[in-house]
Amino acid sequence: MRRRWVLIVSLSLLLAVVICGVLAPYLAPHDPNIVDLTHKLEGPSLTYPLGTDQLGRCLFSRLLYGTRVSLSLALVIVVACLIVGIVIGCLSGYAGGWIDNLIMRANDAILAFPSLILAIALIAIWGAGWKQMAIALVIVQAAYYVRFVRGLVISLKQQSYITAARVSGTNAYRMMIRHIIPNMLPPLLVVVTLEIGWVIMDISALSFVGLGVQAPTAEWGAMINEGKSFIRSHPRLMIAPGILIFIMVALLNLISDAVTEKKGLGSPLRRKREAAE
Amino acid sequence: MSLLVADNISKTYGSAGWFRKSTSEGTGVRNLSFSLEEGTCLGILGESGAGKSTLGRIVLGLLPPDSGTITFEGIDLYRSDRKARKQWRRDIQVVFQDSYSAVNPRMRILDIIAEPLRNYERLTSLEERRKVAELLVLVGLTADDMHKRPGQMSGGQLQRVNIARAIALKPKLIVLDEPVSSLDMIIQKQILIHLRELKEKYGISYLFISHDIMAVHYLADRIAYIDQGSITDVRTTLELSNTASLKQP
Ligand SMILES: Nc1ncnc2c1ncn2[C@@H]1O[C@H](COP(=O)(O)OP(=O)(O)O)[C@@H](O)[C@H]1O
Ligand SMILES: [Mg+2]
Repeated sequence: MRRRWVLIVSLSLLLAVVICGVLAPYLAPHDPNIVDLTHKLEGPSLTYPLGTDQLGRCLFSRLLYGTRVSLSLALVIVVACLIVGIVIGCLSGYAGGWIDNLIMRANDAILAFPSLILAIALIAIWGAGWKQMAIALVIVQAAYYVRFVRGLVISLKQQSYITAARVSGTNAYRMMIRHIIPNMLPPLLVVVTLEIGWVIMDISALSFVGLGVQAPTAEWGAMINEGKSFIRSHPRLMIAPGILIFIMVALLNLISDAVTEKKGLGSPLRRKREAAE
Repeated sequence: MSLLVADNISKTYGSAGWFRKSTSEGTGVRNLSFSLEEGTCLGILGESGAGKSTLGRIVLGLLPPDSGTITFEGIDLYRSDRKARKQWRRDIQVVFQDSYSAVNPRMRILDIIAEPLRNYERLTSLEERRKVAELLVLVGLTADDMHKRPGQMSGGQLQRVNIARAIALKPKLIVLDEPVSSLDMIIQKQILIHLRELKEKYGISYLFISHDIMAVHYLADRIAYIDQGSITDVRTTLELSNTASLKQP
């Protein structure tokens, strides 16, 4: 019963944050990028609910727009990982044999590195920027999805309805579309909710060190980075986006824990990740 | 010419297979030879673990034997070209023991039965529905059942759905792997009666795998006993009845 409440409350809070992000243009009192040096580093007031930053931009508006950037980037990355993971994982798990071996070896090679370090190395080659960051994160994250999906496919393959479908002439492609993917989505979606939290953290971390979303754009990690020179005089510039990151990751963790327990599903992706890092 | 001929087939589990990772080395079947005539039913009778399902999977073209050949209408199942394979794949169908796990739980009965039709024939959705309705009636269900999901049916009803799917393409051979073993006695009997009717009506041949001598006796024309992967005895059902009656006091 308590778990149910945890789920309901965290889902509503998450929904509230998402709505704030989506409606940022309507909710924000100011343009997040308008520089007004006459109002720089002001404390909270009626016009500026959370005060202004070193360039006189409205902190509250920047946080709202930052929510938008972080959430949409995280969503794009996770969906891309999901597609790559499903396509390659299905191929590997269903075909078996040397194809499976080849894919798994390549996958192991990616998984051998701590994922954030590998992402940084890739961005170092391609140059900083949010697109490069997104591609690098997809590459390092998708490896986990590939392995997870492959495991699901191999266990589904033993079901007799899959054998029955093979006997009735269903080819590999239709097998995936009709039988394997629909039956693998529930456990996969649980994993994905948790994964969004991780990705939000990765995006913020990379943007914080200047490799991801670049300076004028409002993004939580980039905002912390910009605010770090004022950590003593105006700590709220760092604390506010920091708190938001913390809340988002905590909410997503609570949700996926609650769902995992309710459905009796394990979350192998997460455990493997923890073991790897 | 016999419809299906198995010549000295052996299969030992050991290395990782296509469908399952094996845990231990074990003999599936050993030096099996038998033949199945068109329009007849060959019963495969044996204890659990005797290798019956292994044999079934070999006959279905799902598990290559280590040695020996299995020919269907004169074509070697495991050394056939694409075109021949397409034909026998269509002509050999299956019904498994557990009717629930043999259907995708997310699909409607309509989609389950129509699956083989969609794989081989181009039917309009109206034709398809008509065909599925026909098949449902043929196996003793009603046309309305096509809108149900597996969870809304009993094990016996679902087994009829499995049979409908197996006969949808008018196959020449159906492998029945313990098709009634997990059902109540009365339902077992009803389904066996239906299977016999279908066999007589359409001239379908059966490879009927079971550990239940009564069921085999009812449906099979000939019975092969299988023990630890080998066939120890083959008899016609008639011979069996005679010996049985002889032994009766
Ligand atoms: N995938 C497998 N890997 C290893 N051994 C198996 C596998 N499938 C079946 N066996 C073994 O082969 C023997 C025959 O099994 P099976 O054909 O399923 O028997 P039956 O259907 O007559 O009960 C058993 O000893 C079983 O343990
Ligand atoms: Mg069996």
